[in-house]
Amino acid sequence: MSLRSPLGRALGAGSAKDGVRHWWMQRLSSIALVPLSIWFVVSLLSLPTLDHVTVTAWMGQSWTALLLILFVLVATWHSQLGVRVVAEDYIHGAGAKTLVLIALTFAHALVAAAGVFAVLKVAFGGAS
Amino acid sequence: MTEFRLPPNSRIRKGVTHKAPAGAGEVRTFRIYRFDPTSGENPRVDTFELDLKSCGPMVLDALIQIKGVIDASLTFRRSCREGICGSCAMNIDGVNRLACTTSMLDLKGEIKIYPLPHMPVVKDLVPDLTNFYAQYASVKPWLQTRTPAPPDSERLQSKEDQERIDRPAACILCACCSTACPSYWWNSDRFLGPAALLAAYRWIIDSRDEATGERLDELEDPFRLYRCHTIMNCTDVCPKDLNPAKAIAEIKKMLVERQS
Repeated sequence: MSLRSPLGRALGAGSAKDGVRHWWMQRLSSIALVPLSIWFVVSLLSLPTLDHVTVTAWMGQSWTALLLILFVLVATWHSQLGVRVVAEDYIHGAGAKTLVLIALTFAHALVAAAGVFAVLKVAFGGAS
Repeated sequence: MTEFRLPPNSRIRKGVTHKAPAGAGEVRTFRIYRFDPTSGENPRVDTFELDLKSCGPMVLDALIQIKGVIDASLTFRRSCREGICGSCAMNIDGVNRLACTTSMLDLKGEIKIYPLPHMPVVKDLVPDLTNFYAQYASVKPWLQTRTPAPPDSERLQSKEDQERIDRPAACILCACCSTACPSYWWNSDRFLGPAALLAAYRWIIDSRDEATGERLDELEDPFRLYRCHTIMNCTDVCPKDLNPAKAIAEIKKMLVERQS
């Protein structure tokens, strides 16, 4: 049992003076995802077929490639912001929490880079 | 990790049943959480059958009757019996509320009574609110100014400015809201919880206060403020019909607005 005063414990290490940016970026990315997700679903569904040739041809168009890259980046960024909060909510050990946050950040960076790379590869004609 | 299951010494076992006396008129059954830390035993749920004709209409009336007539060891806090002191906050039929303002007529079937959720229990229905009060104290719930008070009058406030703080200032610190909040369950050591944040908001928007910036600085923290995920249980359960969720949203808005 700690002999620290209850107020001392409640004050803890003080305010991090941080959090507004995270909160605002999460809202901003979710706003951006509304039109991007609608565009993505509607565009895919309006393709005549969903075979490899049709979809890669669609991805090769400049506007499609541009919007797909934006979609991948914004979606992974939004996911990174959200999943970080979930980890902070439920993982309480400082060591485990840090490790999980590092792993999550790396995983999201990998997904984002892979997504962008895939779109660029198709768009610039290297797809096979 | 967050604990989703009660620790072994907190798991509830079957308790004793106190039958209603023969010839009782209108019998109502109560299942009440019992825990005595000095006994070394796990908590249990006791069953009490009470003749409703023997007591008043509120849940608190029934608890007082049970304590007075059936089992004097039943422990709970109560004082004003009219919803202004906040002492008798407890979990009644799965909802945090005040026993004194909850009518038994509004509840169906057996009435289940537990202490406020996810708090250390002192005894029976009495939770340990030490951390809750410390968090309230941590937001400095008093007027902070640099301008000296006028020598011959009070610090004035317009009627409109008073109306803004009128509702948030009506909080009775019963802890129904904070202990209904899952974010507070998992992180009450660092998340201030709806009650303390509502108190902070009440001083942030007080037109006489001159520490608005410092107060916002103190709240700008991923845990103190931003553990609130807008679940809104706080506003649902508030027995005074206050809106801590909206107060927290307003604080978040002010923090964004002062950046641009």
